[in-house]
Amino acid sequence: MTSTSTGPLGDVVLELNEVTIHDDLADNELVHGVSFTLRRGGVVGIVGESGSGKSLTCRAVLGLLPQHIEVSGGTIELLGHNAAALTPKQWTGLRGTSISAVFQDPASYLNPSIRVGKQVQEVLRVKKGQSRAEARRGTLELFEAVHLRDPEAVYRQYPHELSGGMLQRVLIASAIALEPDVLIADEATTALDVTVQAEILDLLASLRARTGLALIVVSHDLAVVAQLCDEVLVMKDGAVLEQGATRDILYAPQHEYSRLLIAEHEQYGLERYLDSPAALPELREEELDYA
Amino acid sequence: MTASAAVSVRGIATGAIPRTGGGAGHRVRRVLLSIARPISIFVPVFFLGTFFTFLLGALSGRSPAALQLGDAATPEAVAALNQQFGLDRPFFVQYADWLGQLFRGSFGNSWANGVPVATLLGDRAVVSLSVAGLALVIGVIFGFLFGVLAAQFHTRWIDRAITTGTTVFSVLPPFVVGIALIAVFAVGLRWLPAVGFVPIQLGFWPWFSHLILPAVALSFDTVSDVARQLRTGLVSAYRENYVTGAQVRGLGPQRIFFGHVLRNGVGPALSVLGLKFPALLGGAVLIESIFGLSGYGTFAAQSAVTGDVPSVQAVLVISIVLVVVFNLIVNVAHNRLIPSASRGV
Repeated sequence: MTSTSTGPLGDVVLELNEVTIHDDLADNELVHGVSFTLRRGGVVGIVGESGSGKSLTCRAVLGLLPQHIEVSGGTIELLGHNAAALTPKQWTGLRGTSISAVFQDPASYLNPSIRVGKQVQEVLRVKKGQSRAEARRGTLELFEAVHLRDPEAVYRQYPHELSGGMLQRVLIASAIALEPDVLIADEATTALDVTVQAEILDLLASLRARTGLALIVVSHDLAVVAQLCDEVLVMKDGAVLEQGATRDILYAPQHEYSRLLIAEHEQYGLERYLDSPAALPELREEELDYA
Repeated sequence: MTASAAVSVRGIATGAIPRTGGGAGHRVRRVLLSIARPISIFVPVFFLGTFFTFLLGALSGRSPAALQLGDAATPEAVAALNQQFGLDRPFFVQYADWLGQLFRGSFGNSWANGVPVATLLGDRAVVSLSVAGLALVIGVIFGFLFGVLAAQFHTRWIDRAITTGTTVFSVLPPFVVGIALIAVFAVGLRWLPAVGFVPIQLGFWPWFSHLILPAVALSFDTVSDVARQLRTGLVSAYRENYVTGAQVRGLGPQRIFFGHVLRNGVGPALSVLGLKFPALLGGAVLIESIFGLSGYGTFAAQSAVTGDVPSVQAVLVISIVLVVVFNLIVNVAHNRLIPSASRGV
C-alpha cells in the first residue's frame, strides 16, 4: 500500500520555521534550523542516524524537551498557536487532543502497574469527561480500530503480558483516542519485526486516509519513510542536509549523505537480491575477491 | 456421516466455550488466591515462631521456684511448685497445652506472682500500642510529606534541606531525641507533660498529650527512612518513559503524580515501613523508660531479668503476630499497587 500520492491536502496544522534547539547546560546548539510545513492529511518524514536531532525536534513540537534544553530560535506554530507562548496548562490541553505521539519501545511508555485498557480509558475519562462505562466502550472500539484481536482480553492485560506489536497498537489507540490533528511516530516500528512493522505502517496509513490525521514519521529506515511520506527531511548532526518530495530524494539525492543512506540501503537491503537475478553471481565474485 | 458432523460441531463449540466463561472464574480465583496466600504464609510462621519461643523458655533453665521460694526452697516445695505449673510433664505435652491456651487467649500465669499474664499485659499493651501506633502514623504522614516535597523540588534547596535534615535525624538515637524533646517542650515551654500515661477513658486530650512526645521521639527514624526511600523512588519513577507517555496523552501533572508516579515509586518506602514496625515495638523499651510509661517494652525487659518465662513468651508471641500481620498488610498493598513486581505473598 503506497500512500505517497498526495491528493487534496487540507489547511496547515503545524509549521516549523528555522527552529534551533539549544542545550543550556553544555552551551551547545543541538539542532540548527529545521523548517517544514505539515498539512491536514499530510505526512512528513525525518530520516537520520541516532543523535541527528530528529527526536529532539519532535520533543520540541510536543513541548516536552528535557530539562535545560530549549527552543532558542525560530517558531513552532501548532494549529495557529505559537508554541513559545503556551503555558504548561495550555500544553496539557493541547497534548492528546491536538497533537500526540507514539515511540519506539512501546512497553516503556505504558505504566507497568496499570492494565492497558484502563490507561486508554483514563485518557477518555479525564480529557473527554466520559463516564467509566462510556470510556470503557470507547476504549474497546479504539482497540478494534487498531486491529487488536479480542479487545476485551487485551483490555485486562498488563503491559508485560503483551507482545511488542500489540503494545504498539495499544499505544497508537491511546494516542488517537482524542482524535488529534497531528501524530508523531518516532521510530514507532523500529523495534518490531518486519511483518508487524508492515502492519503498523498500514494502520497509520489507513488512519491518515480515514481521519485526515497528519503524520510526522521519524525513522532511520528509508523504507519506512518511502512507504508513508510525501516530504522527507534528511538530518545529520542537528542540521537538515536535504529536504524535498520523497520521490526526488530517493531517486535523485543531491547531498552526499543522502546518497550514502540510499546506497547503504541498496547494499544491505533485500531488494538487491530480489530485483535482478544477476546479482547473486556477482556477490559470489565479490566474496572470492575478499577471500 | 451425520455422526462425524455432529462430533466436529461439538468440537468447535467446546473450543469456543472457555472464552466466554473465563472472566468471572478468573476473578474468583484471584480473590481466593489473594486471601489464601497471606494465610498460607502466616500459619507456618506463627507455628515456627511460637515453637521456638516455647523452646527457648524451656531451654533457659528458669523455674518458678527460683522466683517465688528463694532461700526457703526445699526439694519438696520446688517439686510441688513445678507440678502446680505443670513443668513436670514432657516437653511436647507442655507445648501442646501452652499452644491450646494461646488459642483461648490465655498466656498462662506469671511465675513471679501467679497472676494471669494476659491481665498483666493487657493495660501495658494499650500503652505501648498507643505510642507505637501514633509513631507509625506520624512516620507515615511526615515521611510521605517530606519524601513527596523533596521529589517535587528535586535538586532544589527544599530537597537539599529535607535530605540533610532526614540524614541528621536518622542517626540520632531515640533516647537522645526523647530527652531533648522533654527539655524543650515539657521543661522549657511547658506545653506538654514530660512523663506518664493517662487512659483514653479520662478524655482524649489528656491521653493524647501524654503520647505526643514519646511517639515523636520514636518516629524520627521512621520519618527519615520513609522520606528518603520515597524521594528516591519518586525521582526514579519520574525519569521513566511512561511519564512522558502520560504527558503525551495529555494528562495533567497532578494526575500523573497521583495516578502513575506515586504508584510505581512507593515500593521502596513501603518495604521500609514493613521493616520499621518491629523496630517501633522494639524501640519502645528505651522510650518507655525515659517517659515513665509502664508499657510492654519495660514489662518484657523486667520479666526477662527476673526470669518470668511465661511473660517473656507472651510478649514474644504478641510481637510475632503483630510483625507478621503488619508485613503481610505491607506486602498485599505492594502487590496491589505494583502487580508487575508481584512478590508472591
